[in-house]
Amino acid sequence: MYEVLMFDGGVHKLEEMLDLIEDIGGFVLQRIQVQVMVTLTIAIPEEDRPLIERKAAELGGKIIEVPLAGTEIAVVGPTLGRHHMPHPICDIAEHLRRYGAITIVMGLARGRGRKTCQISAAEKAIIEEYDAAIFMLGNFKECVTHEKINLYKDIQVPVVVVIGPELDSLPDCEALVCGVGRKVERMRRSEEIAKLEEIADRVKEVVDRRRKEIEEDPLFVHPSEVKDALEDLDAVQECLRPSPVVLHVDGLRVKIPYKDHVRELEEVEVYGHKLKDIATISDCRLGDSTIIRIRTKAEVEGKVLGCDRP
Amino acid sequence: MVKFELEGTERYALESYQWLLERILIDMGITTMVERVRLIIRPDQTLFIISMRIKQAGSKRPVSDIADMEAQEGGTFITIKDESYAPRLLASLWRMYGRERVQQLTRLEIFVDGVPVEELSDLKLDPEEEVRSQLLDAMWRLLPEGLKVRNEYYNDNVMTIVATEHGMTVDFLAEAQKVHSSMVQGKGED
Repeated sequence: MYEVLMFDGGVHKLEEMLDLIEDIGGFVLQRIQVQVMVTLTIAIPEEDRPLIERKAAELGGKIIEVPLAGTEIAVVGPTLGRHHMPHPICDIAEHLRRYGAITIVMGLARGRGRKTCQISAAEKAIIEEYDAAIFMLGNFKECVTHEKINLYKDIQVPVVVVIGPELDSLPDCEALVCGVGRKVERMRRSEEIAKLEEIADRVKEVVDRRRKEIEEDPLFVHPSEVKDALEDLDAVQECLRPSPVVLHVDGLRVKIPYKDHVRELEEVEVYGHKLKDIATISDCRLGDSTIIRIRTKAEVEGKVLGCDRP
Repeated sequence: MVKFELEGTERYALESYQWLLERILIDMGITTMVERVRLIIRPDQTLFIISMRIKQAGSKRPVSDIADMEAQEGGTFITIKDESYAPRLLASLWRMYGRERVQQLTRLEIFVDGVPVEELSDLKLDPEEEVRSQLLDAMWRLLPEGLKVRNEYYNDNVMTIVATEHGMTVDFLAEAQKVHSSMVQGKGED
């Protein structure tokens, strides 16, 4: 199983670290260099972590845990109006990035109000493209417990609900964090930062649970292995969008248009298999991107066996 | 110090909205202009009433108090003496006569085309007008976004807004009126 870590160090003898990562069969997911300082987000086999830690110490760098690396999370607010943005939605999104997650902020078209709040099928489909969603549902207990719960009820990805009033539990969500309602300023007090930590902890638990579920029926290849193969494509190399390939728990988002590059993507080879045989490639609901969902080992091997039968 | 009176069915909602309003007022720099606030929040009925009383900021001042006026060919030449009134005077003149007829020659000198001195001498500036518009902005920032059906009551120093989601009922309006008049009369004050 791969583990995602962050190396923070200098450029001096960095090639030794890069060689080691390659030798143990790991991948560099992201490289950020600012003058002589480098931050590498890497995926390495779990059992080889001591080797990487030893090398990092030798180079004077450090290894940082990034428990949410390799995930893309949506932070959803009732609207994008000034009542809900930028705080606390952006504060939460920004805090999760510190743990390695790629986050996006989303406002519903008609998410405000009590009886009038609603979510469209298109909005649900967009949210379901992410690994988990965080819903901000406001300050009114009556409103949350009676009406707002319908906003996330049918969403097929894990949902963490963040509300103001104290409640013991809410139905249909994987985790609940109370005490974060509407804000008009940045969450910078110690108790507010503690709340952000609590949200990050709940998201980590939810993502870990999802990863464990996947481990029971493991993916045919780890998403970072597909990322490695995709990075050789011209379209990906020419893509100017930030992080052209984003890892998900069970696949990837490639920020190149589906309709222009689907054939090319289908033919990409990963360990002797074409990508179309080991993954489902589909158009993304949001912008010119492509979603790749990697099939499980059982699905791929079962399919191959099925084909071989006379 | 703003005095808050809270009434409603959910303690967290009331306290959080008091905190929100305090932060909004601090953010806008108008905390000292507000004397008293009354909040009624009943999420079960989808009712939100906010009533605010502003402090008296002095009476209206005639233009002749804050500026020297001199009749000139084709209009009036104004030299502002009290700089703090300059933006308000200019905004009032623009509103009344249009930008083409009001020329700001220097920071404190204005020429108003085709308006006699006598007409300008009668003009009075209301120092609370700006305060009122800022307070209204603060209230709009505070009101929950989904409560789109609103009704407001105002007089010189009290503003009350009642908001709900679907239909405004007679009971809501009556309650808001009652709150408004009690704020005007200063009932419930220590």
